[in-house]
Amino acid sequence: MTPLQRAWAFYVRATARFPAVRSIVPFVPVVALWAIVSYADVFPRAFFPAPGDVVRSFGDLIYKGILPEYLEDSVVRLAVGAACGMALGIPLGVAVGLSRRAHAALWPLLLFFAAIGDIAWLPILLIWFGFGLTTMTFVIVYTVLFPVVLNTALGVRSVPTELHRAALSLGASRPRVVWEVVLPGALPNIMTGLRNGLGYGWRALIAAEIIVGTSGIGFLMFDARRAGSVVEIVVGMIVLGALWYIVDGWILAPIERATGQRWGLVTR
Amino acid sequence: MSSLTIKGLSKTYFDAYAAAHVTAVQDVSLTVREGEFVSIVGPSGCGKTTILNMIAGFVKPTGGDILVGGRAVSGPGPDRGVVFQSFALFPWKTVLENVAFGPKMRGVGKAERDAIAREYLALAGLAHAADRYPNELSGGMQQRVGVVRALANEPEVLLMDEPFASVDAQTRMTLQEELTRIWQERRPTVIFITHDVGEAVFLAERVVVLSKGRVLDEIDVDLPRPRAWDALTEDGDFKALSARVLQMVRSA
Repeated sequence: MTPLQRAWAFYVRATARFPAVRSIVPFVPVVALWAIVSYADVFPRAFFPAPGDVVRSFGDLIYKGILPEYLEDSVVRLAVGAACGMALGIPLGVAVGLSRRAHAALWPLLLFFAAIGDIAWLPILLIWFGFGLTTMTFVIVYTVLFPVVLNTALGVRSVPTELHRAALSLGASRPRVVWEVVLPGALPNIMTGLRNGLGYGWRALIAAEIIVGTSGIGFLMFDARRAGSVVEIVVGMIVLGALWYIVDGWILAPIERATGQRWGLVTR
Repeated sequence: MSSLTIKGLSKTYFDAYAAAHVTAVQDVSLTVREGEFVSIVGPSGCGKTTILNMIAGFVKPTGGDILVGGRAVSGPGPDRGVVFQSFALFPWKTVLENVAFGPKMRGVGKAERDAIAREYLALAGLAHAADRYPNELSGGMQQRVGVVRALANEPEVLLMDEPFASVDAQTRMTLQEELTRIWQERRPTVIFITHDVGEAVFLAERVVVLSKGRVLDEIDVDLPRPRAWDALTEDGDFKALSARVLQMVRSA
């Protein structure tokens, strides 16, 4: 056994016991490279802060209470927007997926409006609603809505006809078929739509915060640019990435493991 | 009393691409007594699945009547249980939940419908699989669940559409033997669609031979029960009957 194999065996055993290790280790070389480049003073530190500077700034922003407050603002906006987007998107997607007529009438419109993505609406929304919460909520709901509708409709249509027929010949009414067959059958696609929707929504939110700008992570970053503080911009970028990582790992992935993967609808 | 009566049943499609009418089923009449097991056999494209889909209420006939227990069929309903070739189990429900689905739709309470489901699962030797998901079972076990799910709803007629066509040959023989055993115990009215002549004769009391959407002939099968493949493969009557039906299907 070479030392390399020994190290590999140690890693495999460690990740088996502490799965969190697996989600941290890939970042080690990235951070190391970043540290080497910054401490070697290839670039001026004011433009290219070192990991230590960023950690210090991170602690500072938390201590001042700015980061927790802005983070809360951003996350609440996204959560409210995503909830509204799903509440509208899933029923609409089911209707479009089930009814030939609704599909014929709505699909072209959906594709058209899906293409006028999020921030392309900002100019007109700023005129209509001004620099406020309404504008930001509209943008997020809009962004979350389309991936959810389109994927839900796709999922609904992918449920085999035989399953509808089986439920009907076991005595299910049409509404029961939607609840017992269509929704669970479409769930893997709904999750995909939600994943995309949240991803796009998160990006749209940051963009909206930069432009609308009263609070939030996007505002923090843009405000830092005004103050010429590269280190705070980097803090904002890392927070964005880390937050998505957490949403995916702690919320979306476990749901997918418990549903579509468990049922054999999606291969692992 | 007849459980199922079909009179002058027809189905014509309009094929828009070919700009022509296609006749899938033409003037089919059939009476099935309560507790009878009837096989419908014929080559692919003879309209047997279309007939079953019309009885199940999935497809609307263009002519004729279908009566189940005296009532006209107007759509799918729990009085006609269906077993599909593709099993059509609900992947997101456990085996127990699948079997309890029919009673659940009737409004039977959880404890009672679980008891019903367990009783029927035991009938097919599936008690141990109750809490598993369908994708964790072999094809043969999945179709046992499919049969049991339809039976647990106590339909007036059980419609089986080539249910054993997608399992391996050995499992198929086992499933056929189990089906004859369950049929003898419970005496459901069964319409069994197949293209396999041996299967049709082995299972049924009466074999209906179908060709080009018409009934070619009906043959009574008076083989003794219980039926098992070991005894029947060498049985003269079985071989003679199978040969007769096969000849009819091939000449069709």
